[in-house]
Amino acid sequence: MKLTRIYLTAAFVLGCVWSLCDRVWGFEPTKPVELVVHTGPGGGSDIFARAITEMIGKEKLVPQRLQVINKSGGGSAVAMAYLAEKKGDTHTIGFFTGVWVTNPLTRKEASVMVKDLTPIVRLVLEPAVVAVKADSPYKTMKDFVEAAKKNPGQLKQSGGSVTGRDNLARLVIEKATGAKWVFVSFPGGGERIANLLGGHVQMMVMEPQEAGEHIKAGNLRVIAALTESRLPSFPNVPTIKEQGIDVPIIPQARGVVAPAGVGGDVVQYWEGVFSRFVKTPGWKKYLSDNQFEDGYLTGNNLNRFFDKLTVQMRGILKEAGVKVVR
Amino acid sequence: MDAIGNLLLGFSIALTPVNVFWCFVGVLLGTVVGVLPGLGPPATIALLLPLTFKMDPTTAIIMLAGIYYGAKYGGSTTSILLNVPGESASVVTCLDGYQLARQGRAGAALGIAAISSFVAGTFGVLGLMFIAPPVAKFALRFGPPEYFGLMVLGLTMVVFLTGRSVVKGILATLFGLWLAGVGTDVFTAESRFTFGRMELLDGIDFVIVSIGLFAIGEVLVNLESKTGAEIFKVPKGLRNLLPTLRDLKDSRFAFLNGSVVGFFIGVLPGAGSTIASFLSYGLEKALSRRADKFGTGVIEGVAAPEGANNSETGGALVPLMTLGIPGSATTAILLAALHLWGFRPGPLLIQENPNLFWGLVASMYVGNVMLLILNLPLVPVFAQILKVPYFVLYPAIFGISIVGVYSVSNSLFDIWMLGVFGLLGYLMRKLDFPSAPLVLGMVLGERLELSLRQSLMMSQGSLSVLVAGPLSAGMLIFAGLLLIMPMLHRVRSWRVKAVEQEV
Repeated sequence: MKLTRIYLTAAFVLGCVWSLCDRVWGFEPTKPVELVVHTGPGGGSDIFARAITEMIGKEKLVPQRLQVINKSGGGSAVAMAYLAEKKGDTHTIGFFTGVWVTNPLTRKEASVMVKDLTPIVRLVLEPAVVAVKADSPYKTMKDFVEAAKKNPGQLKQSGGSVTGRDNLARLVIEKATGAKWVFVSFPGGGERIANLLGGHVQMMVMEPQEAGEHIKAGNLRVIAALTESRLPSFPNVPTIKEQGIDVPIIPQARGVVAPAGVGGDVVQYWEGVFSRFVKTPGWKKYLSDNQFEDGYLTGNNLNRFFDKLTVQMRGILKEAGVKVVR
Repeated sequence: MDAIGNLLLGFSIALTPVNVFWCFVGVLLGTVVGVLPGLGPPATIALLLPLTFKMDPTTAIIMLAGIYYGAKYGGSTTSILLNVPGESASVVTCLDGYQLARQGRAGAALGIAAISSFVAGTFGVLGLMFIAPPVAKFALRFGPPEYFGLMVLGLTMVVFLTGRSVVKGILATLFGLWLAGVGTDVFTAESRFTFGRMELLDGIDFVIVSIGLFAIGEVLVNLESKTGAEIFKVPKGLRNLLPTLRDLKDSRFAFLNGSVVGFFIGVLPGAGSTIASFLSYGLEKALSRRADKFGTGVIEGVAAPEGANNSETGGALVPLMTLGIPGSATTAILLAALHLWGFRPGPLLIQENPNLFWGLVASMYVGNVMLLILNLPLVPVFAQILKVPYFVLYPAIFGISIVGVYSVSNSLFDIWMLGVFGLLGYLMRKLDFPSAPLVLGMVLGERLELSLRQSLMMSQGSLSVLVAGPLSAGMLIFAGLLLIMPMLHRVRSWRVKAVEQEV
């Protein structure tokens, strides 16, 4: 009898300790974690997620395997809807980009918005540069803008979707300078560069690491950096503001969100993982190799970032005449 | 010559035991992936990426490239035997390949597919080796008007695919063009014909349409047959198990056609192996003496598209390696892999990493040889599949199709779509509508509309941009000629008849 009492007490105590442990050590994944991306294999988000998976694995920051899940379709609509379905799931996270904010604004079917999900961390800001062919007559952004003003609608820019950052950059520059030129959408990144190299278009907004190799080979020239301050890899290229064109810099952000309805301990866990992750030398090397800006942001600042970005995007899109549904 | 020296360097790398082993793994995996409908090289390569981090990058790309062109070999197998396109580029192979199988010549069809793939694949590698830089430069001259010309040229191939009724062929093409338009408009981001369904935002997947129309449709038609579905004659004797010398002789132009067309289409970013195989088939039929027999089981109707989709892989690697520009979904993920391994693909990749490039090129020779050795002896084995009784075979076809489609997107909606297109395929057969033009319309439609609108955007609405450049004007004129040609034949035969009557 006495023994039973002892056992019961021991069990009770152990139970308390166990739950306290959980409180102290919090959540930890106990099975493989899904990383949801909105592109197919080989797309920007896919590569980003896989690189991060590799780095996290090397640093052993997460005790379970991370598996990239491609949920492409409708911009980010399918991926976001998938995350919305996974409400409360503690073993799923998603990689967002700017598209996750703008997509629901223009597409009726994309009903899930970023604020319906749980933001965890913003990791990078991708800067952009304005590139032209090396043998073109435009040596500065001013040259291009002047030429566009003289021949409205004659100059052409290749880019992606009309709601993408490259077209939005064009819209804000057009508004600020009064110049007008044509935007031609190409679904694939390769084609955009091919058309620039082939002389079918005159200008392209691209990521610095895309441009880097072609500049080294002498095919392209960068005439402006669409950033607040000069890029370390292009110290001689003035920013757009330095050249007298005062436009808001539209960031292309990348980061992590979790489904709605996950507990505070889960959020804390992931925030903890990524706060350690961004301090690793491997991550710092990745940032410099790819010429990303460290965009580390979390918590309430991150929520404010999303709100601000949504309002900004809505404004720009409306002004551009794109139908805004939300 | 410099290239030979580099090639020897490449072989010294490609023929190391490790690289030979992983090349074999790659081509074997590729063949399996090609045979299975639904699963394709991009997804497979993505799955294997974590494995590659532990390998030497040259070995890794040898393996991944092996998957890429291996899949093109495998795609023909189910197309010929079961009318199930294993890969979207193998749809054209179904047209004549399946008919050959029904006539008991499955072995010849499979064999010629393997041989043509080998010849054209090797041509593709040779092209990559010797003429990559100038061809890449030439490809840069292709802007939207030139793509439009190419697509129009491709669509004129409809004339050669319509069978008996031209009107029905055109109707099928128009329906295919409409199907291509379902989804999101690239320029305005507006949804078209999505009926509010998120699954349709990216359009209808071509794989689903082709498997539904061809495979499911075929099964449904056969189920209806009152005499119990015909069991195909299993090829007996060596004559039917492998292509005859006659077959090889008939296909000699197809080998050249497939190689050249496939390679050049592959170099163009955005034009893929499906377009290459259609164009090659159309060209073969246009210039053939027995054009009207195409679609009933003509051996060069298998040789040409199968060759084209193989040399296309060599072509697609040209912009990737010379400019760092991916030309297709698979090369896009190869580009991603190169990034992840720390390379910076661009115009300087070959110069800075000769080992990688030449090792890869040499391994492609090796891989093509391996695939020929793998596939040819297996032809009689595969042909035995036809011995399977229909009450096992048809459910198996259903099963493979459904699993294949589901494996792509994990979406039940896609399965419903498969059913819808299967029914459509059945209806089309009953009403004698040819399905090849529909598929052609769908494949070309997207790019046709895109390049037309891009061209008009660039010219601010002026149509003259489409004939402004020599390349685009030339293609449009050639397309016009192709359209007139059958009428010229008719005029000539009418005149011959008139003369004969007089005499």
